[in-house]
Amino acid sequence: MIQPAAGIVVWLGASMVVVGDGRRGLAAGIALSTLGLAVLAFVNAGPVAAAAIAAGGVTAAARRSVTGPAGWEVLAPGSTPRLVLCIATALVAFWIADAVTAGPVASLRFALMTGIALSAARVLSTAEPAAQLSASAVVALCAASVGAIGSSQPGVWPYVVGGLVAALLGWIPTRSPIAA
Amino acid sequence: MPPEALELLVIAAAALAFAVVFAPATASRRALLVRGGAGLAGTAAIAAVPTLDLALLVLLVLGALHAAVAGTRSFAVRLRPPVIAVAMLALGLLLVRVEAPDLVARFGAVGLVAGMAAGVGVLPYLHPIEPDEALTASPVAWLGFIGPVLAVVLVFRAQGALPIQAGGVFGGMLVGLGLLNMAWGGVAAWRTADEVAAWRYSFVADWGLVLCGFGLTVADGQRAALLVLAGLLAGRLPLYLISRQAIREKTTTRRPINLVVAAALAGSAPFVGFGARILLLRASTQIYWPLALVLALVMLLWLPGSLRLGRSLGQPRGRQALGVALILAVNVAAGLYPLPLLAAARL
Repeated sequence: MIQPAAGIVVWLGASMVVVGDGRRGLAAGIALSTLGLAVLAFVNAGPVAAAAIAAGGVTAAARRSVTGPAGWEVLAPGSTPRLVLCIATALVAFWIADAVTAGPVASLRFALMTGIALSAARVLSTAEPAAQLSASAVVALCAASVGAIGSSQPGVWPYVVGGLVAALLGWIPTRSPIAA
Repeated sequence: MPPEALELLVIAAAALAFAVVFAPATASRRALLVRGGAGLAGTAAIAAVPTLDLALLVLLVLGALHAAVAGTRSFAVRLRPPVIAVAMLALGLLLVRVEAPDLVARFGAVGLVAGMAAGVGVLPYLHPIEPDEALTASPVAWLGFIGPVLAVVLVFRAQGALPIQAGGVFGGMLVGLGLLNMAWGGVAAWRTADEVAAWRYSFVADWGLVLCGFGLTVADGQRAALLVLAGLLAGRLPLYLISRQAIREKTTTRRPINLVVAAALAGSAPFVGFGARILLLRASTQIYWPLALVLALVMLLWLPGSLRLGRSLGQPRGRQALGVALILAVNVAAGLYPLPLLAAARL
């Protein structure tokens, strides 16, 4: 039961990043995704991989909690289409992970598909750098975990680098455009 | 590191050195060196890491750092392409690796091609462009500097990961996307109102040749793709850099040098683009000969756009004139004797 729960937690976290606009909401989204992905990494790749994901994700969430628009701003007025997107993505990803594809890591497939697709949609749909960088951190953590698909012994390096990238993204300076 | 990527890295380093030495006086050489050096280091990291998964993560960092460079486009607009590229590539890899019917792996191949297009900035994911933006912050940095090595790494590593049937879809997608980019880029470089956009579309058209070359999974196709990429780095990119001052001053001239540059940009003999086009046509006849007819027709679209771009170079003087002469000499040498380039890449 741990893996399915972790998959759902990743989806919840990515959904928080999609429907959240304030820094606390975005940080909570990153933290939830990190929690789910770290559990899945622990089961599929061992404690070092889980620790790397957890360290990177917690650093990214901590950094986000102090930078960006103030407050939670979760499900602000006008966010209904984003909520519908989150639910629809979960349904499609569940169908693909459970019925279309086979193998022992259905929860991981579900988590990665929802995490990557929702984060990419968030990056496309917003012009707010804090939300974009939060979604990018989730993409980094998910991309690091893709190596566990189709491999019985995934290496820990993608997890370590993914954690580092997620943490680093919080410190990227976001300048306003300069006049020509 | 794939030998093709190593070779392109060396050419990219030479292009950066050229840019620093021969850049117009209005450009900041220090900024070119620092930003170009950072881009080169990131590109080298993409090529050097042992797996595609790690290359995606490096690409994400490189894209975020590029978005942070001061420019006239917003951070959000510049961050989108690399993140979308990484997301699509990661989804593609996931679908390729799962235990599933062939159809799923084919969708994975589509994701890999789409991710590569988004990363490089070709159709169907052209990056927005601002005419006044610095070269290092503009989409041309992806099309002409980072893109060649990125594409080589993605194509060669993805081909190794794909099952046979999905590999066919991957090649077919590359050829289809290549034809689309050639036609669109050729027409747009000719008809668009803005000179900077015209140069960007000329890069896109060249990328069409590259994608077709990679898609035709025979040795001649790979050779053609490599020569076009070398031409992009050692010809089109430095010529674009030199032309920026004339574009800013809205100067167009019709002197012999402009015609020679137009010939080089159009891929006529004896420049490197000519050999690449011949190899591409030969590769297409080995796979499916009517494709060679289509390719030959689409290649004609380079002519009007290249004449326009040649005029936009203005009349280079002093150091810029020397730079143009050097570019043309290198392109003629590579066109007349491309064997060392191909041998270094083991093709």
